[in-house]
Amino acid sequence: MEDRINETIDYLKKKKVDYADVRHQKTCGEDIKVKNGNVDALSRNDNQGFGIRVIAQGAWGFAASSICTEEEMKRVADQAIQIAKASALTKRENVKLTETEIHKDKYQSQYSIDPFAVAIDKKIGLLLDACEIMAKNQKIKVAEGSMEFFRTDKTFASTEGAYVEQSILESGAGIYATAVDGSEAQRRSYPNSHGGDYASRGYEFVEEMRLLDNAERIREEAVQLLSADPLPEMETTIIISGNQMALQVHESCGHPTELDRVLGTEISLAGGSFLTTDKLNKLKYGSEKVTITADATLPGGLGSFGYDDEGIKAQRVDLVRDGLFVGYQTSRETALVLNQRSNGTMRADGWNRIPLIRMTNINLEPGEWERDDLMKDTKSGLLLDINKSWSIDDKRLNFQFGVEAAWEIKDGKLGKIYKNAVYTGITPQFWNSCDAVCNRKHWHIWGVPNCGKGEPMQVMHVAHGTSPTRFRNVKVGVSK
Amino acid sequence: MIGKEKILNTLDSALKDSDADQTEAVYIGGESGLTRFANSTIHQNVFEVNSKIYFRAALGKKIGVASTNSFIKADLQKALSNAIEIAKNQKENPDFPGLPSKQAILSLNTHFEKTARFSPIQRAQEVKKIFDKAKVHDLTAAGSLSTGESEIAVVNTKGVACYQPLTSTFINIVVTGDNSSGYADYLSRNVDDVDVENLAQIAIQKCLDSKDPQGLEPGEYDVVLEPTAVASLLEWMNYIGFGSKPFQEGTSFLSNRIGKKIMGENITIYDDGRDQSAIAFPFDFEGVPKEKVSFVEAGVAKGVVYDSISAHKDKVKSTGHALTPDSSDGALALNLFIQGGDSSVEKMIKSTERGLLVTRFHYINGLIDTTNALLTGMTRDGTFLIEKGKIKHGVKNLRFTESMLKAFSNVAQISADRKLVNSWWADIGCVVAPAMLMKNFKFTGKTEF
Repeated sequence: MEDRINETIDYLKKKKVDYADVRHQKTCGEDIKVKNGNVDALSRNDNQGFGIRVIAQGAWGFAASSICTEEEMKRVADQAIQIAKASALTKRENVKLTETEIHKDKYQSQYSIDPFAVAIDKKIGLLLDACEIMAKNQKIKVAEGSMEFFRTDKTFASTEGAYVEQSILESGAGIYATAVDGSEAQRRSYPNSHGGDYASRGYEFVEEMRLLDNAERIREEAVQLLSADPLPEMETTIIISGNQMALQVHESCGHPTELDRVLGTEISLAGGSFLTTDKLNKLKYGSEKVTITADATLPGGLGSFGYDDEGIKAQRVDLVRDGLFVGYQTSRETALVLNQRSNGTMRADGWNRIPLIRMTNINLEPGEWERDDLMKDTKSGLLLDINKSWSIDDKRLNFQFGVEAAWEIKDGKLGKIYKNAVYTGITPQFWNSCDAVCNRKHWHIWGVPNCGKGEPMQVMHVAHGTSPTRFRNVKVGVSK
Repeated sequence: MIGKEKILNTLDSALKDSDADQTEAVYIGGESGLTRFANSTIHQNVFEVNSKIYFRAALGKKIGVASTNSFIKADLQKALSNAIEIAKNQKENPDFPGLPSKQAILSLNTHFEKTARFSPIQRAQEVKKIFDKAKVHDLTAAGSLSTGESEIAVVNTKGVACYQPLTSTFINIVVTGDNSSGYADYLSRNVDDVDVENLAQIAIQKCLDSKDPQGLEPGEYDVVLEPTAVASLLEWMNYIGFGSKPFQEGTSFLSNRIGKKIMGENITIYDDGRDQSAIAFPFDFEGVPKEKVSFVEAGVAKGVVYDSISAHKDKVKSTGHALTPDSSDGALALNLFIQGGDSSVEKMIKSTERGLLVTRFHYINGLIDTTNALLTGMTRDGTFLIEKGKIKHGVKNLRFTESMLKAFSNVAQISADRKLVNSWWADIGCVVAPAMLMKNFKFTGKTEF
């Protein structure tokens, strides 16, 4: 493939394009789902192809094909140039890219156990054992488990001379118990909802999850929720668990700091951002307890990589420092607006898509609190655990998030459990009400394998390092 | 386009090499282009040629699935062999009734040559018309225009051999001003149906009319929901309620309610993949012909859609709503309709003393309380206060949190005209929705724009 990629780059240079890159990607995926003692789905997916991105006549064009022959690569190169010329019909100014270091390198994510080499029986067996434990209560109508594994090999080459090969292995798993009684249904998940937890690691990540140790607990909590009261409407103190904090960071800081979104390029789909460039280094986004970073270099993070899909080396940058909004996630094109260099966040979800600014590992940096001390310090409030629903406006201001379970906190101790709990707020007001973040001992990088953006839709793997965090005066229980 | 003969012959030939008791192959492939624009310029312009071929191999009741995106014989053989290997290591699925047998498939015209051949230059020329119109009013436009063709085929060792060529086009336009925005969209199989200038005018007018929006306190309001807003509610109701999986698991708002009145008598909701007035598609991904299925008839809960496995479990027949072989989501309705009434948006506004006109909703989520069909979401791109039968002014966006069982029990008027609204499943389905006047619709929050 290397020869064909280099020949295509040479061909594009001869066509005198302003810039071009070729990205070949091969992905192998395995998906296992078990339900109520049966294997519900077991599939393996092989996928490969290439995409060519071109700037010609000052405008972008992109074409892609799954047929990786020499002739097809030249045809697709020509097509990308023609598309760029069509784009040029409406251009206001020529596309420009920031200067960058040119890399020739290889990157390999680290793992101990190759999940594709682990016997299917063993993987199914673990999930079935967890289901068996969860099913030991008649109210549990659905006991489920899932695992997913991906191996991605991709090569990036550009007319500027970059040539980067990367191989990334990812693993994820989770278990879920749904209790049903008449027209009431409640669900608990472990370690997280919507597919569980994911990392750029091997099967050792799944083994470390202790799925079996948590199956009984989530079974009993799901059943308990059936007879729980719905969370009443009030304004109160909340402690949000790390897994739900991942969603909170994702929606209210990750997306609004994507500079392409800020500049309006996503308006037609998920909208824009309230973090307009006039607010940079001025807006008090949160309290002084809040420091949020974008860190693609974290070992094992689902948003980690060696280089982004523009060939920019992975970086760690501050987005919010001690409460002040100080940075964006950028690309070579958008960074120019700020007279900066790209901080390397451009990724595509496959060979057939253009790279967009995508979250890497967007982290709420750990604070100083022990979790037990934080609980004891809370006289009255709620503990909210694991995401159930999510909705935010098209500038990322008004959000309403639902969780699987909420527990009353009274004089530092957990009390009764509530069902169908939601909390709501306006992003900067909410983050300014943060008064405590738990320390690194309680900090975990939560893998999110399903972040949607772009047209055609791209589903990206990202992550969020978070720990339990406390917020004051939050409106909860507004679901009815 | 590869063509019917080559696809069916290649898949049939691959299946002849199968050692499994029963084997199925599904082909989904095509070519598609999308021109995306923002700030009144094209910023993303893409084209792809791709395919996906699934093999589902059954050894008794053990099922294995594997896929590839290469149509080369050796890669097809490898994928088939992977599927068989997975099946060997599988547990038995007691609900697997065997692969479906051959059934007659309705002949539908779903391919339009002009849509298939629509070029990047033609797409650029169309979107430029939008920019020119927006510029007159000092507004900017964002959106996308897509065109493409695809082929879907299902073949199995029990004689199923279905093939359907498709085209589709979709345009969405968001026009933005200093403090307001407006929206318009259009979905069709035929690019000739798209009137870009008219759509641009609708989005521009909404943006101009909602300029300088005023804040409004949350609470219960009568709402006139345009078809795009109604469709987005239905899309989530479908996901949490109309498929076999949530129904059988007891999380659907239809579970344990069949035969009971759950909505107003004026509400009828159904799925019909054969209706060519929408984005019709005649068979599912098991090669079973699509049947018309009613979910709610005159307010009464009627049923859900099935694939062959979920149907066997409930001792009924598949309704032709299987998803791709790798899915564990059960059956899903892809061609949704809400029956129209005799009103119009204009009549609804005229008959509203105080209420809101909603162009569309944003970021709806329906997972809070699925058995009560409780949804939340924001208004977007043109929300207006109605007073004494007239639109008074634009309002800042609001968050609703409402049970759809309540909302669809409070529908006072339904428009005669219905619109095709694009959905998650684009090429093979859509939502056909009227406008509706709903009484006492609950808004629970507000935002700053």
